[in-house]
Amino acid sequence: MTPHYRKTPRRAFLADLGMGFTGLALGSMLAADGIGRASAMDGARAHAAPSGRPHHAPRAKSVIWIFLVGGMSHLESFDYKPALNQYAGVEIGKTPYADVLTAQFTENLRVVVPNDANGQQRLKLFPLQVGFRKRGQSGLEISDWWPHLGTCADDLAVVRSMWTTDNNHGAQLQFHTGRHSLEGRFPTLGSWAHYGLGSLNDNLPQFVVLGTPLADCCGGVGGHGAAYLGPQHAGVQMGVDPRTALPYSSPGDGVFVEEQAGEFALLRKLNDLTAVEYPGDANLLARIKSYELAYQMQSAVPEVVDCSGESRETEQLYGLGGKSSQDFGRQCLVARRLVERGVRFVQIFHGSNGGAGAWDGHSKLKTGHENLCRQVDQPIAGLIQDLKRRGMLEETLVVIGTEFGRTPGSQGADGRDHHPFAFSVAMAGGGVRGGLAHGETDALGFHAIEDRHYVTDLHATVLHQLGLDPRRLEIPGRKRLEIDFGKPMQKVIS
Amino acid sequence: MIQSAMRFAIIVAAGLLICASGAASEARGAETAAEPDYARDVKPLLTRKCYACHGALKQAGGLRLDTRGTILAGGETGPTVVPGDAAKSLLIAAVRGDGDIERMPLESEALSGQEIALLERWIASGARGPDEPLPPDPRKYWAFQPVVRPNIPQSADGATVNAIDALLAAEHQRLGLTPAPEADPRTLLRRLHFDLVGLPPTAAETEAFAAAAARSDAAKEQAYAGAVDKLLASPQYAERWGRHWMDVWRYSDWDGYRAEVRESQPHIWRWRDWIVDSLAEDKPYDRMIVEMLAGDEVAPTDPGVVRATGFLVRNWYKFNRNVWLESTVEHTGKAFLGLTINCAKCHDHFFDPISQRDYYAFRAFFEPHQVRTDRVPGTADTAKDGLVRAYDADATAKTFLFSRGDESKPDKEHPLAPQLPRLFGAQATIEPVALPLAAYYPGRLPFVAAEELKQAEQARAAAQKALADAKPDAQARARRKLAVASAAYESIQARLAADEAVYGNTGKPGEAAKKKAAAAQRKLARMQADDDVADAQAEVDAAKMKVEKAAAGDKDKLQKALDAAEKKLAEARKRLATAEAEEKKTDAAYTTFGPVYPAQSTGRRLALARWIASPDNPLTARVAVNHIWMRHFGEPIVPSVFDFGRNGRLPTNQPLLDWLAGEFVADGWRMKPLHRTIVMSAAYRRSSDEGPAQSKNREADPENVALWRMNTRRMEAEVVRDSLLAVAGALDTSRGGPDLDPAAADTVPRRSLYFRHSKEKKVEMLDLLDRANAVECYRRSESIVPQQALAVINGGLAQTQARRVAARLSTTSGDGSFVDDEAFVAAVFACVLNRPPRAGERAACLEFLADQARLLAKPEQLTRFVVGVKPQVEPSADPHRRARENLALVLFNHNDFITIR
Repeated sequence: MTPHYRKTPRRAFLADLGMGFTGLALGSMLAADGIGRASAMDGARAHAAPSGRPHHAPRAKSVIWIFLVGGMSHLESFDYKPALNQYAGVEIGKTPYADVLTAQFTENLRVVVPNDANGQQRLKLFPLQVGFRKRGQSGLEISDWWPHLGTCADDLAVVRSMWTTDNNHGAQLQFHTGRHSLEGRFPTLGSWAHYGLGSLNDNLPQFVVLGTPLADCCGGVGGHGAAYLGPQHAGVQMGVDPRTALPYSSPGDGVFVEEQAGEFALLRKLNDLTAVEYPGDANLLARIKSYELAYQMQSAVPEVVDCSGESRETEQLYGLGGKSSQDFGRQCLVARRLVERGVRFVQIFHGSNGGAGAWDGHSKLKTGHENLCRQVDQPIAGLIQDLKRRGMLEETLVVIGTEFGRTPGSQGADGRDHHPFAFSVAMAGGGVRGGLAHGETDALGFHAIEDRHYVTDLHATVLHQLGLDPRRLEIPGRKRLEIDFGKPMQKVIS
Repeated sequence: MIQSAMRFAIIVAAGLLICASGAASEARGAETAAEPDYARDVKPLLTRKCYACHGALKQAGGLRLDTRGTILAGGETGPTVVPGDAAKSLLIAAVRGDGDIERMPLESEALSGQEIALLERWIASGARGPDEPLPPDPRKYWAFQPVVRPNIPQSADGATVNAIDALLAAEHQRLGLTPAPEADPRTLLRRLHFDLVGLPPTAAETEAFAAAAARSDAAKEQAYAGAVDKLLASPQYAERWGRHWMDVWRYSDWDGYRAEVRESQPHIWRWRDWIVDSLAEDKPYDRMIVEMLAGDEVAPTDPGVVRATGFLVRNWYKFNRNVWLESTVEHTGKAFLGLTINCAKCHDHFFDPISQRDYYAFRAFFEPHQVRTDRVPGTADTAKDGLVRAYDADATAKTFLFSRGDESKPDKEHPLAPQLPRLFGAQATIEPVALPLAAYYPGRLPFVAAEELKQAEQARAAAQKALADAKPDAQARARRKLAVASAAYESIQARLAADEAVYGNTGKPGEAAKKKAAAAQRKLARMQADDDVADAQAEVDAAKMKVEKAAAGDKDKLQKALDAAEKKLAEARKRLATAEAEEKKTDAAYTTFGPVYPAQSTGRRLALARWIASPDNPLTARVAVNHIWMRHFGEPIVPSVFDFGRNGRLPTNQPLLDWLAGEFVADGWRMKPLHRTIVMSAAYRRSSDEGPAQSKNREADPENVALWRMNTRRMEAEVVRDSLLAVAGALDTSRGGPDLDPAAADTVPRRSLYFRHSKEKKVEMLDLLDRANAVECYRRSESIVPQQALAVINGGLAQTQARRVAARLSTTSGDGSFVDDEAFVAAVFACVLNRPPRAGERAACLEFLADQARLLAKPEQLTRFVVGVKPQVEPSADPHRRARENLALVLFNHNDFITIR
């Protein structure tokens, strides 16, 4: 299928219905978008709803947001710290770096569950569980568990100076909303992007979630929710099986395709007749449109997840031939197909296991992380390479994130505990610089010390690349704090 | 430093969220590059950044910055602004934090460079601005003044008029509006049914009403009034409005991760049933408030009242008591008082005269309370069922003000006593409540003793029978079991006797009975241990035999079993030794039947509840009638339904609000008379049509604020689901009971309010259709998205009900004959949309039925969908019937089904 980009911003489409009620209809769609509603509730009638157009020239059209659930070790991926080997087995307090334990940054910690068995500081240094090497022209250091991603080094911007506050897996929610899990549910980054930007394709949901979402322990559906922006801006969960990709996307095998087509046609006819009776009813027009979208989504969604037309070579690129990598590889491939068709924000969860997440390496970190990397390394590298060769990487921002890092000290014999004071994320495409290591941690990888970034700085960066200014994405009655907005990481933007 | 400031920002974030909402639209002023204008640029900035401490609420340092005059006059440290000289102006030094001056504002983000530059330019250009009067004392704000019922204007001809109409007419005249005519009878009756019971009228009811309307105005009036009375008296009214109040009171079933309860509590459905029951009997709203906040204090032994404290239980939060109490304070304030007390958790309220101290003094009313689950008749295990409720666990629990709302910084020097927000100038009269025994020791309830004895008796009888039936080699074991069962029975008798002696007002010291009970328990424990040893020994013997007899290949496995049995035996012996040692003791420590709680409740919550529910409270009745009004008209009178404070919105018609509030209280806080008054008004019965004929009205009042017409509304999620079941005649109208599994919502035809509903636990179809946000839902949100369309056209529930509707309407009730297509189209329109088809619709539907039947007659030429739901009812094998099923499904998806006009 040829990707068809629709240039008309979503909120203008009602003009296309040719019924002459554009003004009212526009109001209705704004109401459907939660804006009219918010203004009715809070009275700021003057509030300027997002126009669906970017605030400034965008560098990216779409985002693929990959989230590794449980807390990937920054020390065994992107942040090489030889001192851990040098002082392996030594108490931090007896190394030259003892002051990390009392640095003011430790005050950022927020303890959710006092005396939890996890989420403690581990004092005895644990050596690196994997080797590192310099990759590509840039010499970016990436661990040996990421051989395929290593070949993309010159396209990657690694941020080594991320920090957060939640020392348990509520940080998963925090990574997506910027707010601590105790504070409730707030809009996720994907929902802000959805709220702020118009659609590029009216046949597909604009914020799609692949993989198993966060478990209820750690944010649940709040991890792709829209909170006060309204459910219409929340991520829509999709499977990668064409037959079951979307809830209610099929009436079941008791129904014929032609039979249902007849139903939709009659429904359209009857609703049009009603529109003649109630010429002022903007909601009716919006509902007519929503049924058209629904009808199209029924076929568009299975089509987009059906990868049978992809070449064997492409499948190999994403690791679809490998036993460990095939599941995640398919999700990455579907993600490419989605952005190809204009979907704005694809969020892929990896490692959801009904609890804290597979990346939560409290013990046996070496075998655990090695296996997990095998599942995602080739698919992510394949995605970046595929986007690049199709000329899509320039306008597609790929983000690889996780909720926090892991302690430089050992937990038990062979694990690392949660570590909110420093962790790494990586980005590629969408106008970020390649071959870049941004920010720095101390010699132990304990604290981010240079170019420190709270998680909302990452959000600000993503929105900035999409052409959005988070400060202009206000909604009346909902005060956002300074910390919510974050600041774009100017140094990673090319 | 920056990092710890950020941390602070995160901590206070939740509190600020709603509190400072006025800021958003005002922030833009600072961006203007032209000559600063005081009203346009400067005042909004000062409002946002300075008024909290230097305004009408508070004058820190004797300084007010809310008029140009007071800015120039300055405070204790002298003039704030020197016109023409920014460098010499204290204001600039303060926002910069220059020299010795602390950076202002002290408690929030610094001004940006742009904002400071704006102030400098304003001062440099002479600090000009208009003379303004000092803003009034916020305590004088309308919402904090007593309700005064307005005079009702008489109509010109002196006829009695509905007060609602008279008060709206005044607005209509002022704005030059001509109210719309009454809605057509079918539309009106449909509206009335959905409003009062959340279900559609039957086709017969609709037609009867239309016929009455056609006869005469008087007949219509009589039929309408009759329908109103019938619906208000029906149990479905209580379920419909129960769900509304469940929104406002934040009903949530338990939530958590797997089996772990993290929020709210299991069995809280009893509170939901209390809500429905209370509405059904039209319990006065003031009484409802008292029962929800202090049911355990006002009627401590009545489980029918105590269950109302689910309102408090709902706030239970596993991980943090402060979060729990914060929710309690926040939502008591919002739900009953329309007051955002929660905004004063970290600092004094920015808008309302509520200090941070007021916030914590309000919290103190709730400080002693906790949640517990009492045993209910029929189930001994409170994990399986129970009465979950609030009670005062610790009368000495202290409340401290948390500096900046940070729970790690309590002001322990100054514990706070419970006190009403001082702005109201009222005192809560707190009197401790002495609880009856049955309330503080529910194990003494007669049913507990009866059930315990009965259970022990049955066990003993069973053991006796087992002994009688036992073969000779099993007799010794059976005798042992009987001895244990008898000891268990005796132990219960002894414990009951001890309870009687201790709690039974016998006047005698209970020491002897207690000792006897304790001894009986110890004896039972020893006998049980004895029995365990004997059982374990028998297992070991049997295992040994097996090992001896076993073939070589099986030996290893059997030896392992023997080892395990021996280990068990050793453990049993150890327990026996302990029990034997225990048995030698002679103390009186017997076990009661469940916990014994404090015999006195503080009475704090009752005092608070009585103040909230007082007719003199300026907010309570106004807030309640506003909620009721909104659910009849689609729009409230005070748009900010949970915030009647100064940051909320003004009423669109205060006389109307006050008349309704006054009437409500005068009617004994009963809701049904209020509903009746509202739905009998001409305003309620108006057409919602805003077509070309209404263009003049639309121009004068495009938002229909003055209600010159009815508002068109969309069914709530629950109404959609319930109505699909109702039109198919499939709705199960049984009431109440434990929360139902959401996964069964497609097949269990109960009303939607009975399905489990919490943050994460939900019926998917309801969720897509904007069910209540379980965390906070003072007002429903409405969306129109394609996933809703898919849920209703592809969902199993809708498909099944469409097939049922077609079956039901395809045979006449009498002779069972098959009705023709024309009659079917009329019937299905009447059933689903409550109106006859228009000519064009009839033609389109008849054509559809013919085409679709032709299509379905050749299934071999058609393509099946691959997967999806399995509806309960299969499609009809007859293509004509199946076409009718299709038509019913189309009408379920018709805009006019989900729309209430």
